[in-house]
Amino acid sequence: MTAVLTVLFNGIAYGFLLFIMSVGLSVTLGMMNFVNLAQASFSMFGGYVMIMAMQWFGIPFLLTLPLVFIAIGLLSVIMERLVFRHFYNTDDLTQVLLTIGLVFMSIATATYFWGGTYQRIDMPPWLIGQREIFGLTLETYRIFLIAIGLAMALALILGLERTRFGAMVRACVDNRRVAGACGLNTGLIFALTFAVGGGLAGLGGALSANLLGLDPNFPLRYLVYLLIIVSVGGMGTISGTLIAGIALGVADVMGKYYFPQFGGFVIYVLTVLCMLWRPQGLMGRKA
Amino acid sequence: MSAFDSPEQRAASGTGYFASLSRWNIFEILFWLALAGLYFWPHADLVLMSQIFIWGLFAMSLDVLLGYRGIPSLGHAAFFGIGAYVAGYCGKFGWTEPISALVLAMLVAAGVGWLTGKLVQRVAGVALLMVTLGLNLILYDLVHRSTEITGGDDGLQGIVIDPVLGLFRFDIFGRTAFWYALIVTFVLFVATRAIIKSPFGLALTGARENSRRMIMLGAPVEGDVSRAFALAAALAGAAGALLTQTTQFVAPSSLSFQRSADVLVILIIGGAGRLYGGFIGALIFLFLRDWLAAISPVYWYFWIGLLLVLVVSFFRKGILPTIEDFYTRWRGRRGAP
Amino acid sequence: MRIVCSALAATALTLAGFAAQAQETVKIGILQSFSGITSLGGQQADGAVKLFMKKYGDTAGGKKIELIRRDTTGPNPEVAKRLVQEVVTRERVNLLIGPDYTPNTLAAAPILMEAKVPSFVTGAATTGIIGEKSKYSTRTFFAVPQLCRPLAAYAVKNGWKRVYVAVADFAPGHDCEKYFLDALKEANGELAGNVRIPVSNPEFSGYMQRIRDAKADAVFIFMPIGELSIGILRAINDSGLKSTGIKIMGTGDITDETYIDAVGDAAIGTITTGIYSTQHNSPLNKEFVKEWAELNGKQRIGWGALAVYDSMRLTYDALNAQGSGKFDPDKFISFVHGRTFESPRGPVTIDKSNGDIIQNIYIRRVDKVDGVLQNVEIESFSNVGFK
Repeated sequence: MTAVLTVLFNGIAYGFLLFIMSVGLSVTLGMMNFVNLAQASFSMFGGYVMIMAMQWFGIPFLLTLPLVFIAIGLLSVIMERLVFRHFYNTDDLTQVLLTIGLVFMSIATATYFWGGTYQRIDMPPWLIGQREIFGLTLETYRIFLIAIGLAMALALILGLERTRFGAMVRACVDNRRVAGACGLNTGLIFALTFAVGGGLAGLGGALSANLLGLDPNFPLRYLVYLLIIVSVGGMGTISGTLIAGIALGVADVMGKYYFPQFGGFVIYVLTVLCMLWRPQGLMGRKA
Repeated sequence: MSAFDSPEQRAASGTGYFASLSRWNIFEILFWLALAGLYFWPHADLVLMSQIFIWGLFAMSLDVLLGYRGIPSLGHAAFFGIGAYVAGYCGKFGWTEPISALVLAMLVAAGVGWLTGKLVQRVAGVALLMVTLGLNLILYDLVHRSTEITGGDDGLQGIVIDPVLGLFRFDIFGRTAFWYALIVTFVLFVATRAIIKSPFGLALTGARENSRRMIMLGAPVEGDVSRAFALAAALAGAAGALLTQTTQFVAPSSLSFQRSADVLVILIIGGAGRLYGGFIGALIFLFLRDWLAAISPVYWYFWIGLLLVLVVSFFRKGILPTIEDFYTRWRGRRGAP
Repeated sequence: MRIVCSALAATALTLAGFAAQAQETVKIGILQSFSGITSLGGQQADGAVKLFMKKYGDTAGGKKIELIRRDTTGPNPEVAKRLVQEVVTRERVNLLIGPDYTPNTLAAAPILMEAKVPSFVTGAATTGIIGEKSKYSTRTFFAVPQLCRPLAAYAVKNGWKRVYVAVADFAPGHDCEKYFLDALKEANGELAGNVRIPVSNPEFSGYMQRIRDAKADAVFIFMPIGELSIGILRAINDSGLKSTGIKIMGTGDITDETYIDAVGDAAIGTITTGIYSTQHNSPLNKEFVKEWAELNGKQRIGWGALAVYDSMRLTYDALNAQGSGKFDPDKFISFVHGRTFESPRGPVTIDKSNGDIIQNIYIRRVDKVDGVLQNVEIESFSNVGFK
């Protein structure tokens, strides 16, 4: 019984990891209708910023997190002002091509600055090892991930779906001209939303680096997972991304435990079935 | 109908319309002659050329689906790989005559394509992309792990391909590969071009633009999806079989997601909806990739990425359509002859 | 006057042409991965070639050595085959070091056989690549059975009879699994469980739980270097499985010097089979490691580097033995096949009949030596064959 519960817990933790990594894409894709595959690159840079802060400047891990959020948020605003905003009205495939090009450039850039190999990642002592909770031996880092994931989800759901800022973003996305006519500074709002989405992506990279490893090829390896979580959850819905992440995370880990011969299959099969049954995603609105 | 047709051709109506559509213009003829002429280019890398033709055919197959029917697919390499493996198994188990094996590969791929079309009939947009992606990944996973049957990463061993027409052996210089790939590609291109310019082809484009209207006109829109998939899959399968036959080797990389993504990039660079866009994209992408990888191996990804960003910025609809538009405006300024 | 000048010019040019011809060249194609994720392999090859040529010069047997480098971009048989065709038919290389990776090597084999171009297999361990199908090939890497068999007997000998086997779910993994399971049965060990882990897999916790449930004495791992090898060692550590006392064994891929730093202290105590460790205690190796550090700095030395270095060694020796006259591939092969020499890794023999490699196999344990993670040799088996 303890084995099952441990596996379930690990699955939920993995689900939260997937959520944390994908939520940035969900925000920009869902809120702004902009297919920004370079979010995966922002995650990668977030990981590198965290490592540099810890290894070169000795900054403790927890403090690197807000640093990463701000740094990558800034990076994504710069990219938005320089590049992305010229492509808001183009079709999806153009945006895909543009952002894939940026992903390639980011991979080469990361190789140039940090070398082509995997980075050494050392978590602080209080996050390593396991804890005994209710008789189960649970990995401390995974407990931490779940806690942070919950906090992020709550902050986002309340922040974007309940506050005025959230309403302003949705107004701008629905009808930019009218929103502008109502006096909203659409350019600023888009830039800020991008900043939040980018910052979240960077945070996702920093938090997942310990479990997934970090090397310049990170974006290409995880792009598929990002797309899966965001589309299965329903684009732009934070709750959808969370539910999809947890559902797929649990399915993946439980699948590997009970049916190892089906291995990595499970996520793909579930994605196909879900998209055929509910194309708008679990929490998405029908077009 | 392309921007290269003269105003009189456009004005023709009725059966004359279809006849006018299928007339070959000078640029098309020059294009194919130039491709054939590449054989005589000094120090030509014939093997690279044959692979460019194969990628061009593959990209054209996606164009049928994406450019003409408006269905985006992130898993098109699945059909390429199916064709490749069918040709591989033929070569391994005694069916070594290449042309008939190629036809068999096309039929099998078409069948799978038709079934896929039926499956995704009701799905569109992001969901469609994810379904095609998911199916591709599942197929790749199966092929990759079933090492007893497919050899896995090591590839299918023991493939024997007979000389084409019993005369032309696949030599190490790539001469037979060049002509075989070019001729098969050309033949399939002509067939596709005829299909695209037929009522069926127009129905596809119509369904892409406004499917509700097409339904009101009585067009079999849903059935056409399967037919479009079948056609696209057959062409992709042919490209896959060509690769197996010219290299006498097939590995799971023939149906990888990487390949699906690459062909999508190639098509969009060249320009979708023009049939030739795939070839232009393949020429540019493959030559550049080869050249960049030679001069800057560790960082060539950067330049490829930059190329994509530049193409998207300045050749918004793809290279070929932008050139066509440019040409039309230039002719318009000069005044029609 | 003009006639005299042009005659002089013509004579000068002809003499220059003769002079250029007199110094013959031997072209060596170096086909490795220099780009993208797999670029470390190419860097290793470059480092090895540079070191060798710095030490032994750029001529052998009176001929100048010319290198033609091409990038296979990873396990990409379509590209590799095309590159081999290019360097063989257009550049007219005399021999080839590479291509790396099994699918590339298999795709290239028929061309090399037809064109009679000797090649060195520096990056593929599958058993089927060497032999009658490619009599011009020589392997300087290792063969799967060499690394996958010894740990079975070693585990049983040390009292770890129940072994759990975890391999990556692809062709090399299946190969390794087969050899290990056979060896385990021969050694009268007990199979606690067996799992194949997908190659694109970021998450190991399900598998960790299965290993825990099986209550094995030891776990035998085969993972390709990269995301999987790093991931599994860290997972074993992070999940607490390591602290249950289970012995962690595997082929040396999981503790490869070029990737071990990313695993960190989680790797300490891992027991692996390997063909080379920078810690190998021989005067030749100590000199090699020192010279490498002087030329290539902090770059660590992996097996690929050794394979390329030894390929250059065999090439130079064969060319020197052949002396003047045109390069003869058959004479080259008859020299190389059957040759024994001392490499920084230990003694190496190339089998006379099929060109495969016979070398020492070491059992190593990961320890921290002067603050750096190293594979320390604790036992060795001499002259292990390739079957």
